[in-house]
Order: sequence, then C-alpha cells, then structure tokens
Amino acid sequence: MARPHKTFLEWLGEHLFSCPFKTHFGIDCPGCGLQRSVLALFKGDLSASFKFYPATIPLIFLVLFTLIHLKLDFKFGAQLIKIVFAGVAVIILINYIYKIYTHQLI
Amino acid sequence: MSEEQETPQENKPIDLSKGQQSEPAPFQPLGNGPVTPPPFQQPPPFGQFGGGGFGQQNLPNATAALVLGIIAIPACCFYGIFGLVFGVIAWILGAGDMKKYQLNPGLYTESSYKNAKAGKICGMIATILSALFIVIFILIIAGAITNPQMFDNFIKGMK
Repeated sequence: MARPHKTFLEWLGEHLFSCPFKTHFGIDCPGCGLQRSVLALFKGDLSASFKFYPATIPLIFLVLFTLIHLKLDFKFGAQLIKIVFAGVAVIILINYIYKIYTHQLI
Repeated sequence: MSEEQETPQENKPIDLSKGQQSEPAPFQPLGNGPVTPPPFQQPPPFGQFGGGGFGQQNLPNATAALVLGIIAIPACCFYGIFGLVFGVIAWILGAGDMKKYQLNPGLYTESSYKNAKAGKICGMIATILSALFIVIFILIIAGAITNPQMFDNFIKGMK
C-alpha cells in the first residue's frame, strides 16, 4: 500500500535522470529516450516504447538472456549474445542518424 | 560359607573381563578393514555444469567481461565516457582470458572460453560505438565554442 503501482510509475516519470549533454547543449545524446522508453514499457505501451527508443526491447531481452545464460549455460548462448549485441549497436546508430536527418534532436 | 560367597564375587569380575574381551573381537574385522582406503582417491567434479569436466575450471574473468561488455551499451548512451571505460575493460579482460585458455586449453571449460570471446567482442563493439559518439560530441562542443552564433542559428534552424 505504501507504493501503489500507478502512482509509483508517475512519480518515476517525474524523476528521470536528465541528460547532462542535453542540459548543456540542447541536443539529444544517443541515449536520450531510453528512460522514457523503459517507462512506457512498464506501462505496457510497446509502440510508444519503440517510438521513444527502438533499441530498448532488444536491450532488455539481451540483459535478461545474459543473466539466464550465466545461470544455465546454453550452448548457443555466447553466439546469440554477440549477434543481439551487434544488432542493438546497429539499431542505436541508425536511430541517431535518423534523428539527425529528421531534425528530432531537440 | 564366606569362601563360597567370595568365590562367586571373584568369578563375576572374571566374567566381566571375559565380556570385555569378547567386545574387542568385533573391532578386529574393522582393524582388518584398512585394506580399503582407496575411496580417498576419488576426485568428484564439484559444481560442474556439463558433468563432462575433469577438474576443469571456469576462466576467472569470463563472466565479468561479458557483463561489463553488455553494461557498456547503456552506459555509453547515458554519459558517453562510461561506455568507453566499460568497453575497454571488457575487451582487455576478454582478450586476457582468451590468451589464458589458448595456453592451457585443457585446464578451463569451453563454455567460459565462449563467454570470454563474446565479452571481448561486445567490448570491442561498445568501444567503437562510444568512441564514435564521443567524436561527435567533441565536434559539436568545438563547433559551439568556436562559433556560438552559428550554433544558435543551427539550433533555431532545427526547431
């Protein structure tokens, strides 16, 4: 009862870390949107999460899969982690270039 | 009568002593037992996942390299330079463990070698990515310092 679910998410939404790069220069850094995206994911809004930051869902999958892999030691685990990791890096890079070209940095 | 009473008392301790003598007898087979100590030579593989490891260990830094390599991506997104630091550490740890494995391939488990390799590659990717972003940041900062008016116009133009 101390932390009802909805109010906790709302409180979290008002207390996100502010990006130091954006506060100083007014331009998004490559990670801007990740916290809003994770918050949208907690609320169950997959499309909003993807719009804020497309790499969130694969990133969370990657972290969870790595934890499971370190516990259970899959044969294909290391290979899959490498592929997903490279995919996440490419998504982040493409997302930032797309933001630059479509003037969404501010 | 007194002699008769004494004799049974004397006999009783003898009986007890006989009983005591009879007790050590079962110990003799145990004394003969020491012929079977070989069980001490059984080295059971403790905590091995696959069960196929014959005393093989996990590489010491494989897990750390993998975890640091993956943390490096969100870190590079949040504050730039942390991604570079984590990525380089993961790269070094992974590469060091790969060398260790190649020197003694029989000593370590293959799964931990794969983890170390994955950690090294993740660290490489994160390092390259965060280095790229740091270069972009430096270019933007340099541009903002040298030509503040142009920078303001640039931002206004984007709005």
